[in-house]
Amino acid sequence: MSELGLQPFMILSAFLFACGVVCVATKRNAVGVLMGVELILNAANVNLVAFARFSPTFRLDGQVFALLVVVLAAAEAAVALAIILNFYNNHATVDVDEADELKG
Amino acid sequence: MEVPGRLYVVATLLPLAAFVLLLAGGGVRAACRPYRREGGFCGTLYWVCGGDKPLRTGAYLATACMAAAAVLGVLGLVWFLDNPGVTGRWAERTDWVRVGPRDTAPPPVWEQQRAANPELPAPRTALALELGYKIDHLTAVAFAMVTVVGTLIFLFSIGYMRDEAEEVVEDHEVDRQASRERERPEDGPPVAHAPGSPGHFHRRGRFGRFFLYLSLFAFSMLNLLIADNLFQVFVSWELVGACSFFLIGFYYERPSASRAANKAFIVNRVGDAGFLVGILVAWTYCGTLNIEELTRRVRSPDHGVHGAKRDPAQYPDQLIRANPAEPYVDGTPKFALPPVKEFGTGSHLVLMPLAAEDPDHVHTPGYGPHRDSNFPVPARADLTTYGAIPYALFVVMGLGIFLGCVGKSAQVPLHTWLPDAMEGPTPVSALIHAATMVAAGVYLVGRCFPLFAPEVLLVVAYVGAVTLFVSATIALVQTDIKRILAYSTCSQLGFMMLALGVGGWVAGLLHLITHAFFKALLFLCAGSVIHGCHHEQDVRRMGGLRRKMPVTAFTMLVGVLAISGAPLFSGWYSKDQVLAAAAGYGLDHRRHLALFVLPLVTAALTAFYMFRLWFLTFAGPPRDADVHHHAHESPAVMTLPLIVLALFSVGVAWGWPLWDADASYLGHVLARAEPAAVAVEFAAERLTAHHYHLAVEAAALGLALLGAGVAWWYFGRRQPAAVELWRPGPGWYRFLAGKWYFDEAYDAALVRPTVALAKGAAAADKRSADGPTPPGAAEPPPRRFDLFTLDGLLNAVGQAFDAVGRVLRGAQTGRLRTYVAALALTAVVALGILTALAK
Repeated sequence: MSELGLQPFMILSAFLFACGVVCVATKRNAVGVLMGVELILNAANVNLVAFARFSPTFRLDGQVFALLVVVLAAAEAAVALAIILNFYNNHATVDVDEADELKG
Repeated sequence: MEVPGRLYVVATLLPLAAFVLLLAGGGVRAACRPYRREGGFCGTLYWVCGGDKPLRTGAYLATACMAAAAVLGVLGLVWFLDNPGVTGRWAERTDWVRVGPRDTAPPPVWEQQRAANPELPAPRTALALELGYKIDHLTAVAFAMVTVVGTLIFLFSIGYMRDEAEEVVEDHEVDRQASRERERPEDGPPVAHAPGSPGHFHRRGRFGRFFLYLSLFAFSMLNLLIADNLFQVFVSWELVGACSFFLIGFYYERPSASRAANKAFIVNRVGDAGFLVGILVAWTYCGTLNIEELTRRVRSPDHGVHGAKRDPAQYPDQLIRANPAEPYVDGTPKFALPPVKEFGTGSHLVLMPLAAEDPDHVHTPGYGPHRDSNFPVPARADLTTYGAIPYALFVVMGLGIFLGCVGKSAQVPLHTWLPDAMEGPTPVSALIHAATMVAAGVYLVGRCFPLFAPEVLLVVAYVGAVTLFVSATIALVQTDIKRILAYSTCSQLGFMMLALGVGGWVAGLLHLITHAFFKALLFLCAGSVIHGCHHEQDVRRMGGLRRKMPVTAFTMLVGVLAISGAPLFSGWYSKDQVLAAAAGYGLDHRRHLALFVLPLVTAALTAFYMFRLWFLTFAGPPRDADVHHHAHESPAVMTLPLIVLALFSVGVAWGWPLWDADASYLGHVLARAEPAAVAVEFAAERLTAHHYHLAVEAAALGLALLGAGVAWWYFGRRQPAAVELWRPGPGWYRFLAGKWYFDEAYDAALVRPTVALAKGAAAADKRSADGPTPPGAAEPPPRRFDLFTLDGLLNAVGQAFDAVGRVLRGAQTGRLRTYVAALALTAVVALGILTALAK
């Protein structure tokens, strides 16, 4: 197997991140927004693991960080889904554009 | 006693003990008052502590403590004169508040001297506020004077304040003044009447409270006398001021009394502000407030005051203040000055190192016989090495301390409070405002004499001269018996200040002591007259009282003779020395001849107004039948102090031979405490004074006789009819009776602008809610000025934030996509900037 450098991982991560941001910015469905957030988090995970692989100082740390992010993402998803569910109960929709009651 | 000086500490603390006991008694009584009907422990305590009627026990206690202090004071004086010790003084000191670290290793010179003379105190070089006492000949004499006079006045007060020992006291003066105020309303709260007695003011007697204040005063005054540092002096200074305030305002329901108390306090604050400035300069530049250390630090051994080079052979060991005009001799600093660069330009006084110094004017490296030895001069000034004080600041220091003395000793222009202070009870006028407290200023000038630059001394002399003349002229035409004496006090204090300013150190302080006795006597006689005439104070209503009150009349005559300078009376000795010193200075420096002429003229004025007072009060037929009919001699508890004080007024300054004013024994005692600076600075003037002494003596006596003769011609030969005395005089008379219009000038220049400013400020913020809305007004009148200034500023700040908020709320759309887009864009821009910066 030929050696891959750091660059392809970075490109993948950037692509994932861009997709996530676009998803968050364009989706009106709250669940879709949540999926965008998951993409952004995983872009970060790819970065962390890749840096850990290619950096002499980050041997294990990056992977531990990645695990932490996965766990946090799960927790975040749980909370966010609870919020969405509550919002749906109150407004009968999951359209984020409707959630503007706190605007100035 | 192991440490004899502690005798004085005990004597000082005795009145404080009386004060604390009286205060505790009064507090317990007040706390137990709610239970007075119920009995039980608290009820019993209430009745034990006096009950409804003021207890006399407190007065006896306070008087006993004061008498004990007097016994100790006299014992101490005798003991001290007998054995002043190796150092010529008894002193101890201890730290109160330490500011810097203690210098653990005293210089070797000091250690050697201490080994040879164990009485020398250990050196202290760190900054510390200290408590201490220093007893020298001046303190010992003044202490004995204050305690003895104080005891006699405490005794007199027991009789004079008898009315205050009643359960209910009716103060007619309150109602009289209140009705006058209603007719002519001025500022000030309306007088409250006891309910159910309209027009007759009643209150509980304040016998105990009077002695409470007197005891606190006595403690503060004694503490002031024995204090060895300026800070302790300042604390006592403020305490006597506060006691003076309480006692002037003793009848505080009378508007005049409360106003006089405020005036005294406020006018004294002006002086005290100056005093504080002086203290701060001393602290900053000398690092100590100990008077003895200060006087030893600020000096230069090379020159006298008037530029003459000092003869080292004549004063080998004395430490003399510098003449700043010529710090250099032959182009080189003969006396080691610190590098001028370090202290800026201008003349400086050299501050001597404290630690390397002996405490008692003995030899130090670089001084006296050793002064040419190679003593290294450190480059930097710190506490234990050489320093320098800019001469201007040295003058400021002296002027500041003197300003405090001006306020306390009622010198022009801060003299206006003293005559008003006569609103207090007469024993207070005698003790505080004639004999002791007002003398504190003179005492402090005497103590700090070496700290006063020649310019300051000239100011002292001129202030004294102006005061003695101005107040004597006012005293000529006053008609209130106590006010005549009050102006006379100002005048005599002026004599003392003048004497100190022209180098008559002993003369000034001798006059302080003799004046205390005869002025206390005069005031107590006036008190006896007022008491006997049922609180009549106007001399125009008196006359012919000598038959009714023979003891008072006779003792007062003694006082009058003493203050006028009749030969062989105590006042003669001191005034003679004062005039001689003034003559020495005035004749030596012809530009300042006024310093001699004014007191000489005033000697005649003094005799005139004092004899006028005596003739009007005691001689001739009675002018007011009513007053004369009810007049009676005072009880023994009041006349006894008069007799004792009269004896003192005659003989306190005697010496042998009697007819030689310079032979006064008291003067010789005081002379032993005289700072070395006096003899050196005023050597030439002293010679002149000695030369013209007899001529001055004769002139003063002749003028005094003239004054007394004129008084006799107008008031003694035939009594002027009452009508003549009440007739308004010519213009100059009204000017003098108006007290040179000092009060009016201050009123116009200071009081009224302040009041006007305050009223304007209040009017600027006047709102409808603050005052009654005019009837029929539809809406409250708008706030006027303040809407645009202070309130306006604060409102503008609020409005600005409000406007910013209004703009920023537009950014919060509530659309998630906008936020994310903004976030992403911001991140991109931030990254771009970071990248650009990284290159």
